[in-house]
Order: sequence, then C-alpha cells, then structure tokens
Amino acid sequence: MALSGMRGLSVFISDIRNCHNKEQERLRVDKELGNIRTRFKNEKGLSHYEKKKYVWKMLYIHMLGYDVDFGHMETVSLISAPKYPEKQVGYIVTSCLLNENNDFLRMVINTVRNDIIGRNETYQCLALTMVGNIGGKEFSESLAPDVQKLLISSSCRPVVRKKAALCLLRLYRKNPDVVNIDGWSDRMAQLLDERDLGVLTSVMSLFVSLVSNNAEAYWNCLPKCVRILERMARNQDIPQEYTYYGIPSPWLQVKAMRALQYFPTIEDPSARRALFEVLQRILMGTDVVKNVNKNNASHAVLFEALALVMHLDAEKEMMSQCVALLGKFIAVREPNIRYLGLENMSRMLLVTDVQDIIKRHQAQIITSLKDPDISIRRRALDLLYGMCDVTNAKEIVEELLQYLNTAEFAMREELALKAAILAEKFAPNLSWYVDVILQLIDKAGDFVSDDIWYRVVQFVTNNEDLQAYAAAKAREYLDKPALHETMVKVSAYLLGEYGHLLAQRPSCSPKELFTIINDRLPTVSSSTVAIIISAYAKILMHTQPPDAGLQQQILAIFKKHESYIDVEIQQRAVEYFELSRKGPALADVLAEMPKFPERESALLKKAEDAEVDTAEQSAIKLRSQQQSSSAIVVAAQPPVNGPAPAANHLTLVKMPSQNIAEESNVIHEETAVEAPKENGAPVEVQRNVEIITEPAPVSKVEPPASRPASQADLLADLLGPLAIEGPPAAVEQTPAQGLEANQSPVGDLALATLEDQSNSVQPIVNVEEKFNILCTKDSGVLYEDPNIQIGLKAEWRAHHGRLILFLGNKNTSPLLSLRALILPPSHFKVELSSVPDTIPPRAQVQIPVEVTNLRASRDVAVLDFSYKHGAALVNAKLRLPIVLHKFLQPITLSPEDFFAHWKTWNVQSLKVQEVVRGVKPLPIPEMASLLLSLHLAVTPGLDTNPNNMVACATFFSETTNAALCLVRVETDPQDRSQLRLTVASGDQNLTFELKEYIKEHLIDIPRARVAPPAAPQQAQLPPAAPATYNDPGAMLAGLL
Amino acid sequence: MQCSFVEHRNYKVVYRRYASLFFLVGVDNDENELAILEFIHLLVETMDRHFGNVCELDIMFHLEKVHFMLEEMVMNGCIVETSKQNILAPIQLMEKTS
Repeated sequence: MALSGMRGLSVFISDIRNCHNKEQERLRVDKELGNIRTRFKNEKGLSHYEKKKYVWKMLYIHMLGYDVDFGHMETVSLISAPKYPEKQVGYIVTSCLLNENNDFLRMVINTVRNDIIGRNETYQCLALTMVGNIGGKEFSESLAPDVQKLLISSSCRPVVRKKAALCLLRLYRKNPDVVNIDGWSDRMAQLLDERDLGVLTSVMSLFVSLVSNNAEAYWNCLPKCVRILERMARNQDIPQEYTYYGIPSPWLQVKAMRALQYFPTIEDPSARRALFEVLQRILMGTDVVKNVNKNNASHAVLFEALALVMHLDAEKEMMSQCVALLGKFIAVREPNIRYLGLENMSRMLLVTDVQDIIKRHQAQIITSLKDPDISIRRRALDLLYGMCDVTNAKEIVEELLQYLNTAEFAMREELALKAAILAEKFAPNLSWYVDVILQLIDKAGDFVSDDIWYRVVQFVTNNEDLQAYAAAKAREYLDKPALHETMVKVSAYLLGEYGHLLAQRPSCSPKELFTIINDRLPTVSSSTVAIIISAYAKILMHTQPPDAGLQQQILAIFKKHESYIDVEIQQRAVEYFELSRKGPALADVLAEMPKFPERESALLKKAEDAEVDTAEQSAIKLRSQQQSSSAIVVAAQPPVNGPAPAANHLTLVKMPSQNIAEESNVIHEETAVEAPKENGAPVEVQRNVEIITEPAPVSKVEPPASRPASQADLLADLLGPLAIEGPPAAVEQTPAQGLEANQSPVGDLALATLEDQSNSVQPIVNVEEKFNILCTKDSGVLYEDPNIQIGLKAEWRAHHGRLILFLGNKNTSPLLSLRALILPPSHFKVELSSVPDTIPPRAQVQIPVEVTNLRASRDVAVLDFSYKHGAALVNAKLRLPIVLHKFLQPITLSPEDFFAHWKTWNVQSLKVQEVVRGVKPLPIPEMASLLLSLHLAVTPGLDTNPNNMVACATFFSETTNAALCLVRVETDPQDRSQLRLTVASGDQNLTFELKEYIKEHLIDIPRARVAPPAAPQQAQLPPAAPATYNDPGAMLAGLL
Repeated sequence: MQCSFVEHRNYKVVYRRYASLFFLVGVDNDENELAILEFIHLLVETMDRHFGNVCELDIMFHLEKVHFMLEEMVMNGCIVETSKQNILAPIQLMEKTS
C-alpha cells in the first residue's frame, strides 16, 4: 500500500503516542518541525514522495494543535505534481492548512482550473473539493462558469457532479452573482429531478442556501422538493446503499424539509396536499425502537417534520398532534430526545397559540430543570422563561429561585436575570416582586448585575405603597450575619431613603438603623461605602427631633472619611459634613428622590442583547431609531453575533453615507446626554464647591448617582430615561418650518399617495410634509412605512439634477417584486437606473435618477413604486421634489442691469403682474426669507419703499439655457393678506410659470386648489404699467 | 445517559463517544442535531467497513485514509455522500492500482 508505506510517518506517530507527557510531545514535535524545515530548505534533493511524507507530518502536527507556519509553499506546489498520490496530498493538506486568503493559492489557480476542465475525473474531484472547502473570491471569479457546466452536464458522472454542486455553493457564498444568470432557477428545478441520491444530497445543500437568500426566485422548485420527500417517504426507487437502518437517507429528507421552511407558504394546493400527506405519515409512523441508530435517524426526520409543520402553521389538528408528540418527548428518558423536545416546545411558543397546552406540562418541565445534564437544564430554563405568564409566574419564579441554590456557576447569572425579568413582568403584586429580587440578591449576589438592584430601587421609588415594605424587608436582611455586598448596597439605599417610614416599628429608630448599617461599613468596598455615607446623611436629616448623640457619631464618620482614599467618598464626606452643619439646607439637598420616568426595563434589554439570534431584536432597535430620526437611517445593523447580512450582487450599501450616519448618532448622543438633566436626576459630571454654600434644588448626591464614571452608562439608565425615549421632536427641526404651511396649496397632489386605498400598509410619516421639506432641502426622507424607508438626496447643477433614492428594507425578510417607475411630466427628461427586484433584509439599495429640465413648469414628477411584503402588494405614488425653484439660482444684479432688463421686458406676457389675495400675512423679513428659500435673491436698495421687495434669479433649462428672472413683490402695510406680484423674464412660459409658482407659495389656503389667475382680479388693476421713469425708486413707486 | 448536544456560545457541539474515542462535530443553530449524530455513526460504520473492526489505532496510523473518507463525505460543512459504497470507491481504487 503506497500510503501506509510512509514509514517515517508511522514512526513519528508512534513516537508521539509514546510520549509520556505534553512536554515530551512538544520536544518531539519541535524536533520534527526542525527536520522538515531543513529538508524543505534544500528542496533540490527532495523527491515528490519525500515532500508528500513531510506534508503529512505537518498535517498531523497541525492536528495536534501546533502552529505550522512554514512549508505552505511546498504543500501547495504538490497540487501541480504530475502523479495522482502527490496531487491528492497537495489538495487535501492545502484544504486543511490554508485558508482562502493565503497568497500561495493564487499560484495554483491555473492548475486547479486545468484540473477542473480536464478530462480526468479523479483530478476534477480533487480540485472541486479543495475549491469547495477553501475557494475564495478569486476562485469564484475565474471558476464559476466551469463548475456550473460540470454540475449541469449530462455527460459527467455523479461522482463529479455532486462535488461540483457543493463547490458552486462555496463560490456562490463568495459571490452571489454566480447564479445570477437567466434561467438558473429552471436549472435548479431540473437538478432536483436528479435520480442519483448522492448528487441530490449535495444539490439540496446548494438549494437550501439559495432559497434562504431568495426564496422568491425558486418557487418553481418547491413542488420538486415535495416530490423528493414523497419519493423518500414511500421508499420508491431508493437504492439499498442510501437507506440507513431502513430509513431512506435521513440526511436528504432533513435537508429537503429544511429547504421548504424557507418558503413563506405553500400555495399550490396539490403540492400542499402531497406535503401534508408526507408529514402526516412521518408524524404518525415514527415509533420508538430499540436500535439507537434507527431511533435517532427516524427522530431526526420527525423533528424536522415538526419544525416544518410549525412553520407552515398547519391545520389545528396537526398542530395539536405536534404538541402532543412534544409532550411525550419531554417526558422520555432518552436525553437527546428530551433535549430536542424542550427546544422545539420553546420554538412552538413563538409560532402558535399553544401556551395553554404547554402549561399542562409545566411540572414535567420543572423536573427537567433539575436534570443532571446541563444542556437539558438550559433548555428547560429557556422554556420556562418563554411560557411564563401572570398565571404561573409565581410558581415558576419560585422554582427558579430554588434552583439558584444548586445551579452551577455557568448558569447562575442567566437564571438570576431571567428570574428578575419574570418577576417584574408578571408580578401578581409588587411586594412579591420586592421579595423575589431581595431573595435573588441574597442567594446569588455575585450573579446579580447592578441593573437588577437599580431596577428594584426604581420600582420602590415609583410606588409609594411599597416604600415602607421594602425598607422593612431591607431591615430584616441586615439582621443576617453574612450578607452579600449588593444586599448591603440595596439595604443601605432603601433605609436611607425610606427608613424614616419605619420609625414606629420596634428596633427601627434612626439610631438603630444607623448602628445596623454601620456594622457593615468596615467590610465593604468603596462603591458601597459611598452609598452608606449618603444613607447616613439621609438618616441624619430624617431624625426629628435631632439626636445629638447620633449626630456626633455620624459627623465623626464624615470627618474620618474626608481623607478616605477614594476621592468620591472624600467629596461626599466633606459636603455632607458641611451641609449637616447648615441644618435646613440639608433637607433641601437630600430631599426624597423624585420618581423615575417609566421606561423599558434595562433587564429586558440586557436579556435581549444576550439572545442568540439578534436579528429580530436589532430590527426592532433599528425601527425605534428610525422613528426618532429624520436622517436617512437605512443602515443594516450588523447583528452582534449573527452572520453578516447576506451579501448581494446589487448595489448595496450596508450603511448610509457617512455624514448621515453621523448625524443620527449625534442626535442620539445629544438626547442621551440631555435626558438625565431634564429629568432632574443628578448625573452630574462637574461638581462645584459653590453648591455647599448655595444648595441647588437638585438633590445632587444621591447614592447611585455619584458612582465612578465607568458605570455612567448604567447610571444613565437607572437615573435617566433611555436615549431612545428622548424627545424626538428635536430631530425634526428643519429650516423650512415656516414654509410648510405655505407650500400646502399644492397639497392636493399629495393625496396621490393615498390613491390606492387597498394598501394595507400605510405610511408612517406624513408624506406631504416630507415632500414639502424636501422641496427646500436636498436630502431627507421621502416616504416611510413599516417595511421600507425611502430617502432622497439630490444635487443640482444648472438644468441637470441628480437624485439618489435610498430604498431601505427595515425588515428581517426581503422585500420582493420591487418596482419603481417615474412618471415624468413633459418638461423633464428623467432617467431612472435599473431597479433591483429585491431588497435583502435590512439592506439598502440606491437608485440614481438623472433629471434634465427642458423648460419651466410647475408639474411634478411622480414616483410610482410598489413592492411585495409577504403576500401583500404595497403601492404608493409619491411626488418627487423636483420643483421649479431647484433650477433657479439666486443672483444679485446692479440697479443698472436690473432696470435695463426690467424695461426691455415691458411687453405683454414677458412681464406679468397680478394682485394676489389671501396671502399668508408675513412680516417683510420673513417674506424675504421665503423668497430666498425659493432661490430668489432679494436685492435690498433697489426698491426704496420698505414694503416692497425685488428679487432676481437665473433659471436653467435646456431650451432657455440660463434665463434671468426678475420678481417684484409689493405689499400693502394696511392689509398684509394681499400683495401685488410682478414677474418678468425673457420667456413667456417661464414668466407665467414662475409667477404661478411663487403665488402657490404665498397663498395661505392649505389644500385648496390654487385658482387659475382670476380675470376679475386682474381687471381691477392696470396691467403692467409702462414705466418710463429713470429714478429707480420713483419708477417702482409709480407702479403701485 | 448524557445528552449528546452541548451548547457553546452560538454553536452546538454534537458528540458521540465510542469507548475512549470521542467524535465531535460543531454545528450552528440551523442543523438537525440527531441527523449529525447519526452522520458520526455513518462515518464510524464506513471506517469499520474499510478497516474491519475499526479501532483507534487504525484511525491514528491511517490518518490519510480517514482524511480521504471524510473528503468523500463532507465538503465545506455540507454532506456530499452517504453511501458507504460510493465513499469507499476511490480509496479502494487507489489501493488496487498501487
């Protein structure tokens, strides 16, 4: 045997096995590595056989866990060896030792390709396997078509094709474009007709990956999948070699059912019927058998069928059948089945309304919480957490508390957190909640994060009924001889704050409270000392009438701590000492803590953050961010742990342009910083000594507030509202505020968005308002609904405009059948870049739009877009803010220039005048800024009458090139609701359109259609008076 | 009896023990655990068919052959082949020619 003939390798392996300890082994390995290194250095004398032997040794050393950082070149070079055994070793060891980024791989890319396209089947297999294992982007680019050809070739044998399928999967993951070719889904459908089960198994893995990214494209394959399952379930045409303990390839069955779980539903009635028949057969026909392997294999299929049934949300009968099965599984002795039963029950809670049936198994699940196997305990904990509600919270939480005593360390933190959350969420009464948390701290103090005790403090502060109870409980705990430090913190805090409520009870006098807390002082860390010191100050304040002895004691402690090693405590001691000598001032500063604002539980957040699958949760986060931000935040939030969002061949950006992202960050930071202040909660960074002499109304030094800065984030959470809850109003500030109302006359057009009333998805922003904002700004949100956000960014240059539409998918599922069309009015040329069909989950696509302005017009382009979300087709028609003034550029003219033009255009229809009534009354400066927002530069000094304004701009269009426009507004100081508007330019159409456009912005009748220029109005005034004056002021004045 | 699945961070380890030998497979949350557990056994049976009464030493000293078998069974984390006959065909061919 050629391979086993490598004596050197065998000897080396025996040597390693004979080593008595790790140290010996390391020495032996080092010796061998040294040997190989020297041999490789003088490569000349090295035969292929020797190289092969050394490379195997390297692999063995690598498997033992040692670094092998040389010899890679020699390994890779074996791929080019002429003989099969060397080539094979080269391919296999390269796959094991190198990763796709290794530069040496580039050297062999041609050899690999030649092997793949060559006629030698065995070489093809080797090359395909290596590329399938470590092929990178470059391989993907150069080999994909060849691999595809092999996969669909009818002349290739299955042995090659099955490897080609998985090789293609690798290349597809590196570059999704490789299957982005016409008719690929038909090819896939054909491949799923394959008879050879080896090929089919590989193809199915490829298929699962394809549908997981884009199920929509592969609808045609769905019936094929069902057909495969039927074939397996009926055991038709399954070669003996592919049955495993009598079960037709369980792996293929599992994969096929997995693939079906990526299709949202199965609509085709015959496929659905066939599939349910198969599923029914699996659910009913799987029995527990003696043979472990057979049992495992059949249950592998059964669990996959369960998952598929849950996904399809099948008929009620079938669902209850599943629940019944799961109920059976969680009670069996076999730990693997029990584990999977518990796991699937948790999943079931998410999809269907089976809470009540699952509750029947509560006792059984609690038993599993005490199982010797940690995997099972974890699942049981998860399930109990998921199934908990008001009815069973008490029981479950008490179970968890009890279990806390015996649970291993690895689980305690999770347990504590979950118990705390459930207690808070489902507390039948608040005192029970306090009991639970205090017990939790007592039993598992080390595993109780600060958030948990902060939360209980919040609760007690906000519920007056609870305060005395909590203080009394805290008092009880202090009687215990050994106490966790967190318990000391929470007790000291509660007694400081509410201890005075206990004054009437036995052994609760201020003095006694002080003494019992003071017993703990010598043994605690400085963060607790700080809390205790504050508690003393509060006790002192509450002691009425003052107790001189107690005061002496407490002041002595303050004095002593003035030189404490921790400056924070020094500061407190100094301040409290001074304050307590001031008497009444103390009461002001140390007033009871104000209530905390209601907010999301930090614990829940923490639990969510710890969740394994963060996709859904980050989508929620994303949504809440978007709602409070007007910036185009269509970012894909990379899940903390999960895989990066699927790469796609489209022009995707995962983050919006940098400045926008920053903008939104800034907003959040601001609210985060400001929030605590608004709240009166004392998170103060800067401390000034004046406070001592002049007590601020804010109780500045509450215990948890002045913790070290490293905990600022937690503090902000305890003491201030969440950043997300910060007032979103601040975000919406746009310079256009004054204009919005003015622009609404055009608003009737905005109703176009509502045209399709059948839309079940409604925008969550005011589309009209967004349009108006975008008329004056060049970037912002155009449209948003629960699924998609459309942002827009525009650049204007003369008569050209370039818009970029940002379509951001807010969901974790792709948006399909995306269509966008621009219906341009005749005066625009609009080029819309191709629109992708799909937006992957939480990704954003950019669609550039090129606009050319042909002539002046007030008509607006409409974006007609639609997409599919689930089964629903969402359609909206949105006006695009390509409005007339975007093609205007303000300019300033000298009086000479102005009047020269003004006079030459004294021709009917080049200069048009109109008295406009119903104008929104505005002071002159605001009117001027309104004109400026329309890109009309008001030129002061041209008109001497302070009630009048003259403005100029250049209008760009393809027909007129740069055309000068002159505007004059004459207001009536007696009646600000009317004015006279004169517009002049060298082009009739431009003059008319511009006049109408300005009028639309001046008139203050929201939603009413602007009346066409009314003849009677014009009749009341002489048409543009022929002006012959030379003095500018006099000339204009004469017009009025 | 212990559970054959151990959760580790966001992954699971599916393992199977044969006397003093452990076979471990790391999987993500999208795998069918029992199917992987039996896939381990399929590998063991395949080795058994080739070596006859396979033991630890066979695996140790025929490292390369085990690699060849695995290459035929798994590629980049996906199952390629589950028929023992097909898995072993290339190795048998190699041994015949040499």
